[in-house]
Amino acid sequence: MTVTARGTGRDAARTTPAKKRRWLAEVGWKYPVAALIAFYALFPLVYVLSASLNPRGSLASSNALFSSVDVANYAALSGTSYWTWVGNTLFIGGVASVGAVLMGAAGAYAFSRFRFSGRRASLTGLLIVQMFPQALAFVAIFLMLLTIGEVVPALGINSKLALICVYLGGALGANTFLMYGFFNTIPIEIDESAKIDGATHAQIFWRLIMPLVTPILAVVALLAFIAAFGDYILARIILVSEDNWTLAVGMYQWVSNQLTSRWGLFAAGSVLASIPVLALFLSLQRYIVGGLTQGSVKG
Amino acid sequence: MSVTPPVAPPGAAPTAPAPLPSPRGESHARSFRGIGVGFLVKLVIMAVVNAFGILTILTAVGADSWLLASITAVLLIVADVVYFTRRALPLKYLLPGLIFLFAFQVFIFGYTAYIAFTNYGTGHAGSQAQAVDATLIQGERRVDDSATYAMSVVERLGTYGLAIADDDVVRVGTPDEPLTTVDGEIGASGAPTEVSGWTVVPRAEVLTDPSVQQAAAALRVPLSDDPNDGALRTRDGSTATVYTSTLVWDEQAQTITDTTTGTVYTATDRGTFTSADGESLPTGWYVNVGFENFLRVFTDGALLQPLLSVTGWTFAFAILSVVVSFGLGLLFALIFNDPRVRARKFLRTLFILPYAFPAFMSALLFRGMFNSEFGVINDVFFFGLPINWLGDPVLAKLAVLWVNVWLSYPYWFLVCTGALQALPSDTLEAAQLDGAGRWRSFRSIVLPLLLVSTAPLAISSFAFSFNNFTVIYMFNNGGPAIPGAPYALGSTDILISAIYDISGVSGGAADYGLASALSIVVFVVVGAISALAFRQTRKLEEFA
Amino acid sequence: MRMTAPRRTLLGSAAMLAVSALALTGCSGGGAGDDTAAGGDGPEIVVWTDAEREQAIGDAAKAFEEETGATVRLVQKNFEDLRNDFIAQVPTGEGPDITVGAHDWLGALVAAGVVDTIDLGDTASNFEPVALEAMTYDGQLYALPYSLETVALVQNTALVGAEAPATWDDMIQRGLASGAERPFVINTAGETGDGYTMYGLQTSFGAPVFVQDASGSYTSEVGMGGAPGEAFAQWLSTNGQAGYLSTTIDYDINNELFASGKAPYTVQGPWAISSFDGIDVAVNPIPSAGGQTAAPFVGVQGFYLSAQSKNALLATEFLVNYLGTEDAQRALYEADPRIPAYTSLGQEVASDPIIAGFLASAQNGVPMPSIPEMGSVWDLWNAAEAQIISGAEPVSTWNQMITDLQSTLAG
Repeated sequence: MTVTARGTGRDAARTTPAKKRRWLAEVGWKYPVAALIAFYALFPLVYVLSASLNPRGSLASSNALFSSVDVANYAALSGTSYWTWVGNTLFIGGVASVGAVLMGAAGAYAFSRFRFSGRRASLTGLLIVQMFPQALAFVAIFLMLLTIGEVVPALGINSKLALICVYLGGALGANTFLMYGFFNTIPIEIDESAKIDGATHAQIFWRLIMPLVTPILAVVALLAFIAAFGDYILARIILVSEDNWTLAVGMYQWVSNQLTSRWGLFAAGSVLASIPVLALFLSLQRYIVGGLTQGSVKG
Repeated sequence: MSVTPPVAPPGAAPTAPAPLPSPRGESHARSFRGIGVGFLVKLVIMAVVNAFGILTILTAVGADSWLLASITAVLLIVADVVYFTRRALPLKYLLPGLIFLFAFQVFIFGYTAYIAFTNYGTGHAGSQAQAVDATLIQGERRVDDSATYAMSVVERLGTYGLAIADDDVVRVGTPDEPLTTVDGEIGASGAPTEVSGWTVVPRAEVLTDPSVQQAAAALRVPLSDDPNDGALRTRDGSTATVYTSTLVWDEQAQTITDTTTGTVYTATDRGTFTSADGESLPTGWYVNVGFENFLRVFTDGALLQPLLSVTGWTFAFAILSVVVSFGLGLLFALIFNDPRVRARKFLRTLFILPYAFPAFMSALLFRGMFNSEFGVINDVFFFGLPINWLGDPVLAKLAVLWVNVWLSYPYWFLVCTGALQALPSDTLEAAQLDGAGRWRSFRSIVLPLLLVSTAPLAISSFAFSFNNFTVIYMFNNGGPAIPGAPYALGSTDILISAIYDISGVSGGAADYGLASALSIVVFVVVGAISALAFRQTRKLEEFA
Repeated sequence: MRMTAPRRTLLGSAAMLAVSALALTGCSGGGAGDDTAAGGDGPEIVVWTDAEREQAIGDAAKAFEEETGATVRLVQKNFEDLRNDFIAQVPTGEGPDITVGAHDWLGALVAAGVVDTIDLGDTASNFEPVALEAMTYDGQLYALPYSLETVALVQNTALVGAEAPATWDDMIQRGLASGAERPFVINTAGETGDGYTMYGLQTSFGAPVFVQDASGSYTSEVGMGGAPGEAFAQWLSTNGQAGYLSTTIDYDINNELFASGKAPYTVQGPWAISSFDGIDVAVNPIPSAGGQTAAPFVGVQGFYLSAQSKNALLATEFLVNYLGTEDAQRALYEADPRIPAYTSLGQEVASDPIIAGFLASAQNGVPMPSIPEMGSVWDLWNAAEAQIISGAEPVSTWNQMITDLQSTLAG
């Protein structure tokens, strides 16, 4: 790792042996550890990258990394519906994460700032309700969307909107907790003083609180996006036709049927598919680090 | 309460939260007065929502979907009340999320519970009417030596009939009037083109007008007054052949009689047609079976025994997944929450990569990597030793844990990094002044604070692992199979995937009723445990 | 709540705004699932297919659309999802009019009441009798067959010539003599086990999965028990110990090893031939391991008609008079080369030695049972084989599997 070299080189050159020892004990050892962790994290992914560059790609046997470097698999992606699926996935993930953020923030604001009967029970209820295994409720989900679809076709089977709604159904339960603690860190005095100035609760929420909780909004957006991105089961049940599929559904059928296992294509698709998530993470990183669970830690 | 405002991590780019409004700042005071744009926006939105809702209700009533209509009506009234009253402040914020929660989570749970009380599944997949239809289809046979007649669909005063060319004679009939010979013309295709007293429906119209098509497909024109002679029927709209029906449905008596053997099959309350000697027709329908599915869960020894062992592993898997990933994430966060380490942003990005990769892809990928003979893991890390990761129960459990930890440690790394930076620095400084060592201050201050803040997340994470069907299914399909276990349950099956196996969804003999009952039981168990754990965390009273 | 009552209630919900706005954009912006079917005025029939056959069916549909004015909408699905989705969705009215499927689903489809009989009329004589038989349940034909499929012994002629080995032992000897890394390779689907591919070897011990009655129909009596079954289990164990059978082999690895010359013999179906590009192969019947004829499963693929189809006449017309024609059958063969069920086409392609080899293997074969009970067999059966190959005690594991299977079948 280049990091190690750079770090030690510059600091070590100008220090006395004693200082150097101390540096090694306190900071220096962290670079090799970082290299180890990075290896643990990256090894499988490097492996995918190698398989994606191998036109004969099968994940099972080619242990020789980068034995051939060929972009044929990437080129072949455009011969499939891959890019349509990318579009669908970004649309579904994007809308679902925006919706999750807004609902979660509104919910957390209510729990954090208002006192009402049943508040405690609702919090516990929210925590529990998200534990229902939706993976096995596919029959119920299918039949329910069928009923809705007869009346509102835009929310029936094979509609991306319906899938987003199902995701949002779990949004309140999954995200309220994350946000609730953070909202509690915003001093109530801010609300009080604004109220004295005649602000309504809506103004306080939009103009005061929301800007202050940006980090947690970014975190929830990221988590919701990743959840939608990686979901396979619900997407498979709800999205019937190929041009509505998400990446998970579409790419799985490249390899699920052993008679057509196109691992090279799958690997290339996976590599490209992780780019949007990474981009999102990088753009939100400064909010995220310092954002999570911030508030719930109390002195 | 002591509060720490969000602190930008040293070394990271400075965050730019909106500047805190100064308390009682005059300038702000003015901005909070006057009729807001907000009110107008609200009016517009509520108008749209109401329009939508009323449209939905009208369509639902038109489609006789009363349940949906009433649910929509209730939701709409609630929404209007909530948003136009001065009260119900919390609900103004909670309602949108709650509506989605009820519609798409609570309702689905209720629906699953309803299915749990039925025998819905293979052989009981539709209504009784559909089962009768299917049975009659199965009992209607083509007469072996029947000729195939060129045929036209004919119509008179809204009644459809079939006209056939029998040699060079045109014969016509309806379900009520057996075939008779009439005057007519036979066209080039061999089918009648003119039938005296009837209008010939062009074949294109038969095929393209759905109502005509369905009427024509349902036509059975008896050859004579004796029903045993059979009846003409068309399968493709251009030819007719003679069919006889061996099964007769008597709706009054709720019986189906096999005319060839004389056997009488009676509808039972189990959703089957069963004869006196216990023979059932293949197609049944779904009926309410009460608590039977739940009773089976607890009384069927073959089910209970493996389920108990699976339950043990499920808890182990979920708890270990959370503990190990949390531990790793915390450790990494502690090590790299150090402003003296360079390129932390870059390193964080590397550590987070597994999280950016869709989980099911990773699971599939690891399956190949753990192959004992050809997998890269044995090859590179174990000098090519044939370690049987996927075939040995204990090693397979380790492997699946390894995969799950790899998938989820980045989440905890993020959480802990955030939490560490939010620690009240004054407390830590005070501890240092009191001479507490690094380990001591970690154990007595940092860890307790962290645990308090992350407990709800840990509970959610536990529940997620508990129900993580995807990883188990994609990685090893729950294998290797436990020798002698029914339903081919495997040693890495968790409850969710075991239920999937038991329900037979994959094997073609699906029992959705049993699967739903099992999922309800699992949900109750895991929900109760989580609720208990949650009560321990005393997180709910923030400020009175 | 100790808030003073606000003088004016402003918008209290961001989410409401966002969600309804999204709903609006979704509806207008094509976010909802609009059918992309060509909007003909005529009726529409929906056909479920898997990726391999989509193109060929689409070509057959074009002529049909032109001549009838109807629209054919193809919906692509995973092949293994087709059966369950068909069973689940036909009763709700959401299912297709026609689906591609395998004949061994037939029992389950009949039990679920989701398939209609079909009448091929005079065109029935164009198809192989065995294919029609496979698609027949209780004396009624339920599907238009289009291909037969079976596995056979595929061998690398450069290593072991094209001559068929006489027996299993003979084959292993030749394989060892060829100097390849391993004498033989067979897919066990990894740790899952693969009773399907192994079945020819199993039947050579005289242990069929279900007993057939005099007419050749399967009864629900399990036939794998007793001495023949135990002998087969013993054989699995012995060869597993010897390394000739291994649970490290899945479909991809199997084909990779064979294609790279590391194993001269394998048991595979015609669908795998395309992955053996660049080596010369010969296809022969599976050698006998237990002394009797090795009879692999013969599967038949075809098209089922939904019992709830609103366009039964139109769908039948499409099936019988379009998909049932030689041109369409040829297109299907070219899209996915399996042994055609269409007799004249079968004779035409049998000049290809590879297809002829599979055909010879199919002639030894037995139809895969289509009784609903078959669905309960796979998991237990596969798992027992995988365990025995991995070193479990053969006879007791096998017998335990049969006991479990019988209790499952008894309900």
